[in-house]
Amino acid sequence: MGIPGAPMSAVADPNVLVKKNYVTALKEALFEEMASNPDLICQGEDIGILGGAFGVTEGLQAQYGNARVVDMPISEACIVGSAVGMALAGKTVMAEMQFIDFISCGFDQIVNMMATYHYRTAGEVNMPIVVRGPAGAYGGGALYHSQMNEAWFCNAPGLRVICPSTPYDAKGLLKAALRDGNPCIFFEIKELYRKREIMEFLPEEDYAIPLGKAVIRREGSDITFVSYGQNVYHCLQAAVELEKLGVRAEVIDIRTLVPLDEDTIFTSIAKTSRLIVVNEAPMTCGFAGEIVARVSEKAFEYLDAPPMRITRLDTPVPWAKPLELHVLPSVEKLVNAALKSVKF
Amino acid sequence: MSRNSGTVTANKATVTSDVPQLRPRDLLTKDDCLELFRQLYLARYFDVRLIKEKRLGHLTGTLYSSHNQEAILVGSLFGLKPNDWISPIHRDMPAFFLKDIKFDWENPERMGMSIEQVCSQVWGRVDSPGRARDNWSHIGSKSKHIIHSTSMLAGTIPVAAGVVYADRLNGGDAVCITFNGEGSTAQGIFHEAINYAAVHKLPVVTVIENNQWAYGTPVDLECPTNDVADRAKGFGIPGLVADGQDVFDVYDKVMTAVEYARAGKGPSIVECKTFRAYGHGDHDDDRANRYRPKEEIEAGRTRDPISICRNNLVALGYLSAEEAEKHRADGKNATEAKNEDFPPEVVAYLSKGIDFALKSPLPAAEEGAKWVFREPQ
Ligand SMILES: Cc1ncc(C[n+]2csc(CCOP(=O)(O)OP(=O)(O)O)c2C)c(N)n1
Ligand SMILES: [Mg+2]
Repeated sequence: MGIPGAPMSAVADPNVLVKKNYVTALKEALFEEMASNPDLICQGEDIGILGGAFGVTEGLQAQYGNARVVDMPISEACIVGSAVGMALAGKTVMAEMQFIDFISCGFDQIVNMMATYHYRTAGEVNMPIVVRGPAGAYGGGALYHSQMNEAWFCNAPGLRVICPSTPYDAKGLLKAALRDGNPCIFFEIKELYRKREIMEFLPEEDYAIPLGKAVIRREGSDITFVSYGQNVYHCLQAAVELEKLGVRAEVIDIRTLVPLDEDTIFTSIAKTSRLIVVNEAPMTCGFAGEIVARVSEKAFEYLDAPPMRITRLDTPVPWAKPLELHVLPSVEKLVNAALKSVKF
Repeated sequence: MSRNSGTVTANKATVTSDVPQLRPRDLLTKDDCLELFRQLYLARYFDVRLIKEKRLGHLTGTLYSSHNQEAILVGSLFGLKPNDWISPIHRDMPAFFLKDIKFDWENPERMGMSIEQVCSQVWGRVDSPGRARDNWSHIGSKSKHIIHSTSMLAGTIPVAAGVVYADRLNGGDAVCITFNGEGSTAQGIFHEAINYAAVHKLPVVTVIENNQWAYGTPVDLECPTNDVADRAKGFGIPGLVADGQDVFDVYDKVMTAVEYARAGKGPSIVECKTFRAYGHGDHDDDRANRYRPKEEIEAGRTRDPISICRNNLVALGYLSAEEAEKHRADGKNATEAKNEDFPPEVVAYLSKGIDFALKSPLPAAEEGAKWVFREPQ
C-alpha cells in the first residue's frame, strides 16, 4: 500500500521497506480509506488544490476528484455542519480543521449538532465523522496555533477523543476513527508530523487500532506516568533521567481519551503505587484531572502518594520561547515531580 | 422599514428572468386548491387544539404557535416531491405531518410523519420518532427526509446543505427547504451555510418566516436590510418576497425557488411576510401584549390566511358562497374557535393522533443513558 502518485522517499526500490513519518502515516490512512470506502468524503480549508496546510491531503484531490475532496470556504461551522448533513444522508466524512485552535468556530455544530445526533434520534442516525487537525504547543505557534483543547470535547457526551503520538498509531487510529461510526475529534500533534526520530516502519497490510486501548511505552515499577500526544516523549525522557537516579518509571500512552482504558492505568498503579498525569492543556478541568479523579475513586487503595498533575499553567500559550517553555510541562518538571512523589 | 403588517411591500425577486410565464399556481387543479385550503384548516386546528390542551394542563413544554403563519408551511410543502428534504424549526410543528401529506393523510408509506407520531412527540411519549429524548420540534426522520433540529437557530442550514450535497453525489435531485425565522438570519451560521450552498450551487431553499418579531425584538433590530430577502444579494442568489398570508403566493415563490434549485442553479432565499399572532411561546402571551403595540397586533391579524385562501377559491369558482361559509375558524383566537369551525375530517384526524399519543407510554427511565454512542458492531 502507499500513496499513489506521491513522492515516496529517497529509496528507489519500492520493495525496500522505509520508515515513515507521522504525516505520511495519516496520508496513507486517508488514501486507503478513500479507496476502500466510496462513501468517504474529505473536506476542509485548502485541502484540495493545495493539499492541506501541512500536506496531510496532498495528492488526494488529484486522485479522487473535487467532489469527494472538497475545498471549503473558511467556515469551520459549515465544514462540520455540512458533514453532519452528509452523514445523515449516509456518507462518512473526514473534516479537517486547518489548526485545531479554529475548532472553536465550529463548536456549536460539534457539541450540539453532531455529538448529540445519535442520542436525540434514539439511535436512528449515526455520525461517522472524523474532525481532525493539527494541535499542540512547543513550536512557537503562540496563542492560536498551539492549543490542546481536547477537554472541551471530553465534556460533550457522544464524541470520541483521540490523540496519537506515533506514526503507527496515527495511521491505525485514524482508520479506526473513520470506521467507528461515532463522531470523533482527532488531535494530531503537528510537532510530530515530520519528526525524524519517531519515523517507523508501518505494516504493509491493512490495520486499525481499537479505540480505548492504552499502550505501555516503557515499563517500570516505581512510578506511573500517564500521558498522550507529545508529552509522552517528555515522560519517556524523564524516565531515562529518573533511571539514572534509581527510579524506574512506567510510561502509559492512553491514545484515546474517550473511551479511556482505565484498566491499563489501574494495573500499572497497582504495581507502582504512584501516579503523575501529564498533559499540555491547562490544569483546571483538564483531562489530567479526570484521570486523577478516576484513580482516586476506583484505585485509591493502590496509592502510596497523592496523584499529581503536570500540565500547562492555567494560561494561554505565549509566543516567545522562554514564556512558552515556562508554562508548559517539561522533562525537568516531570523529574522533579517524580522525585517528590517517590519521597512522599 | 415597515414591520407592522403582514402585507407585502414590494416583490424584489431577482430571478425575474427565470420566472416562467405561467405561475406555478396556474398549474394547480381545483382539487389541489381545495386540498391546500383543507391543509390550512389542519394546521390551524393543530395549533388551536394544542393551545386548549395546554390550558387544560395536559401538556408540558412550551407552545410556539404558528397561528396566522400556516400558509407558509402549507404553501411551501405542497409542491415538494416525496424525496425532498425539509428542516423545520420551533414554530413549524405542523410541517412534520404536512410533508408529503397531499390528499393521502393516512398513508403510512408517505414521506412525512404520521399524526400519531407527531402527537406522541407533543405529549412526550415513547412513540415519538425521537422517543421523547428532546422536546417540541426537535424531531426528524432520516427515512422520511426530515432533518432533526436542535435549539440553535439556523443551525440546520449547513446540515441541509450537506444532505443535498451527498444526494447530488449519489445522483439524486432532491431539494431541501429549511425554515427559519427572520431573527435567526442574524446568526453567523445562517450566512456561512448559505455562502457554502451558493458556492456549490446546492439545492437549498431557505424560507424565512418573517413574523416581524424574534421573541421580544422587532425585525428592524435584527436585520438592517429593507427586506430580509435582500440578504440574498450578498451571496449572488435570488431573494424572493412572498405574501406569507396568501398560500398561493407562497406556493408560487417557493416553487420558483425549488425548481431553480432542482435545475442545479443553486440556493435561494424566500422571505414570507407574516405576523406572529401571540407571544413568542405561550409563556410570553401576556408580555407580548405589552411589548407589542395594540394597533400593531390588530393590523397584523387582519389578514387571516384561511380567509384569503377562501376568497381566492370563491373567485376561482372552486367554492360556492354557501360552501365557503361552512367553517369559520378564521379570525378567531384559539379560545374562541370551536370544533364546528373546522372540517370534520380535520378534527377527526388530529383526535385520532391524540388518542394514540395518550395511550403511548412514557419512555423507560433507563433509556436516558442509552444511545450516547453506537452499540458496538
Ligand atoms: C442560537 C440561539 N440563540 C437564542 C435562542 C433563543 N431563542 C429561541 S427562539 C428565539 C427567537 C427567534 O426568532 P425568529 O428567528 O424570528 O423566529 P420566530 O420565533 O419569530 O418564529 C430566540 C431568541 C436560540 N434558540 N438559539
Ligand atoms: Mg420571527
